[in-house]
Amino acid sequence: MHLFPHLLAGLEFRTLPEQLVNGLFLGAIYALIALGYTMVYGVLRLINFAHGEVYMLGAYTALFVSYALGFGVGSTVTSSSVLNLLIMLLASMTVCSIVGVVIERFAYRPMRSHSRIASLITAIGVSLFLQYAGALFLPNSPPPSINEQVNPFRGSTQLTLVGPPASALQAIRDAKPAAEQATAAFNNYLKAHPTESEFNISPAGQPLRDAARTAEDKLESAEREVTGSGVTITIRYGELIIFITSLILMGILKYLVSNTRPGRAMRAVSHDFDSASLMGVNVNSIVTFTFIVGSALAGAGAMMQATFKGTPMTTFFGLLPGVKAFVAAVLGGIGNIPGAVLGGLLMGVAETLMIWLGYSRYADAIAFVVLIVVLLFRPEGLLGSAEVDKV
Amino acid sequence: MRLLKDKHSSFIAAAALAALALGCTPTNPDSGNGNSTTTTTSTSGGAKRPATTAPGNKITGDTILIGLVASQNGDLRPWGVDSVNGAQLAVDEVNKAGGINGKKVELRIGDSASKPEQGKSACEKLISDGVVGVLGEVASGITAQMAQAAYEKGVPDIAIGATRVDLTDIGNNVFRVCYTDDFQGPVMANFAYKELGRRNMALMTDKKQPYSTGLSASFRDTFTKLGGKIVDEQFYESGQTQFTAQLTQLKAKNPDGIFCSGYFNEVGPIARQTREAGMTNDAVKLLGGDGWDSSQILETGGEAIIGGYFCNHYNGQEKRPEVQDFLSKWKEKYPSNPVPATTMGALAYDAAMLMCDALKRAKTPDSQGLRDAIADTENFKGVTGTITLKGNNGNPPKRAIVVELTKDGQRFAKAYEPSEVVR
Repeated sequence: MHLFPHLLAGLEFRTLPEQLVNGLFLGAIYALIALGYTMVYGVLRLINFAHGEVYMLGAYTALFVSYALGFGVGSTVTSSSVLNLLIMLLASMTVCSIVGVVIERFAYRPMRSHSRIASLITAIGVSLFLQYAGALFLPNSPPPSINEQVNPFRGSTQLTLVGPPASALQAIRDAKPAAEQATAAFNNYLKAHPTESEFNISPAGQPLRDAARTAEDKLESAEREVTGSGVTITIRYGELIIFITSLILMGILKYLVSNTRPGRAMRAVSHDFDSASLMGVNVNSIVTFTFIVGSALAGAGAMMQATFKGTPMTTFFGLLPGVKAFVAAVLGGIGNIPGAVLGGLLMGVAETLMIWLGYSRYADAIAFVVLIVVLLFRPEGLLGSAEVDKV
Repeated sequence: MRLLKDKHSSFIAAAALAALALGCTPTNPDSGNGNSTTTTTSTSGGAKRPATTAPGNKITGDTILIGLVASQNGDLRPWGVDSVNGAQLAVDEVNKAGGINGKKVELRIGDSASKPEQGKSACEKLISDGVVGVLGEVASGITAQMAQAAYEKGVPDIAIGATRVDLTDIGNNVFRVCYTDDFQGPVMANFAYKELGRRNMALMTDKKQPYSTGLSASFRDTFTKLGGKIVDEQFYESGQTQFTAQLTQLKAKNPDGIFCSGYFNEVGPIARQTREAGMTNDAVKLLGGDGWDSSQILETGGEAIIGGYFCNHYNGQEKRPEVQDFLSKWKEKYPSNPVPATTMGALAYDAAMLMCDALKRAKTPDSQGLRDAIADTENFKGVTGTITLKGNNGNPPKRAIVVELTKDGQRFAKAYEPSEVVR
């Protein structure tokens, strides 16, 4: 294991701005999932380990809705609209809310009067149940993925902080005519000799092919010079949408929690479960409300991840994001809503910075290193209060 | 330890431990690094393979039983279904031509359900049912387990698509009909350097899959030996969805191609995110190994994967008579899916044909005679190429095919005989 040569070899500071943006975009999804963990913990003092599986079911819902909208396997539909995406988003959020409520009603509520460790083990049980029982009913072999055509916002744009050298742009203009000419000459040769192809060529065609290659190489290397030099930030439209939607959803959540009656009741229950119920708060409906909101956020994250990234799905789709989001929630201070958002964004940035430092091999391990460090030095998390629950 | 007395934090610590435990994702059946029972010497060629001493099974009665272990459930089901169809096609053909020395061949099938342990028990069940030889599996991890079971019972095993190098070191009863990973890496390096004119390649490696790390290493060795440069290597983990940070790092190094040695599940999204990062299909070519072989890759990769090249065992567009013969027989027998969905159909057909051929040549009607006959196979003309096992420790030097991904599927680009590849 060579841990240090990278540091000595010098870091690519040119890529740092783009990596920070990558980190924030990645962290937005972690934050969305972490909110579900943290809200449930705030109200019930329960780590809902099945939250990752709710996320997984959200992704499958988006898949099925995309099939229903005509973007099935082998579909030739190539035009989509924002409306389709909205339908998928709302469907995922709705299904996840229902799943969350059902899990709470039938798995957690009967355990509420028992010790907390019993609830925790129930949560792990529900998680495993959904992973393995889900595999019996959900298509997972080969892993399906959402057709990219359903997403009208493909591609990316580049923000240029420092442009490529003018010489590189000039090189492209210089190389272009020669490359086009040589390629056309080689294509003419291929047309005249139908038995030959680019990779099975007779000695007679060899010089033409090589000439075309050399000219194209010159053009391509000039193009790469332009994409690779300078300081740019690539913004993928899909990720931008994920980020903005996440911010909007978090804004709505903030409003719900601080400005509405159920939000106030939720804070009351979180502050003191028993007193709140004595003061006339319907605790059960508030718990249900919490599960609805937390699960809907996970559903939104899952739909966006599955649609804009084209990730293939298995019933373990939610495992790694779930664990990382849990760490994010602990990092921010579990039970604390702004803490979950901060923790999520920090986790995303930490992961990309590991890659920037040259340790892509250990990028996933950083989540667990963070977890251990937080537990050792600040178990209440960055924004959590050090106050111990009343016994 | 004030912290641990705090009820709140000790509870979180317990939960965190549970999270760490959950973080251990199930191992992919193809990794198979959990086979501690196998005594591997890991050097291929020239290695002394332990000889089986168990007696094996005898042929009794009028039918010869042979077994096939295939994944009829789980992740690898598409490959498993094709293996069953391919092997059954071969057995029916042999029986139609009069069987072996007047005896009919019967194919018994065991389900490995894409899991190494189940592959092992399926193989043990087949052997206790009396099969003289077994075929399978397509995944290296499962093959390691079932070949070990066959070794303990003295029954020969012909693996179908398992390419991990050290598998045949398990014992002298283990053979395969496919090439090994230390061949497909060099094939792609030769293709990239000589045919595509690439000089500065980058690697994307799935650090969780021994298949991927091994393939990346063999590609790197050959490519640098040819005079090319590996400008960067980035790692990811199977199941990961976001590769943007790795690709940002790669882009800054100006590669003219990326060798993605992992499986199609991750390669599709990697391709999409590569194009979104501004690296175009022409300027930055994507290349890979036989882990790309699935029609699924065109769905997950979309337009971004078009123009990518990978190494495969066989291609239906080849004009060789063996290939065209095979395809017409397949079409006749399975009209509902007129072409094999993966290369495993052809490889399983070859494995079953080779075993039947060896049964004809066997000097004694038992597992031992069959094993010796398989080991003596020379210049067997298969659909996927000529197979010689004699003197090769179970690993036949095989031809490999480079195919290009187009909108309509795989297009034949170039075939490599073992002698044409600079290693």
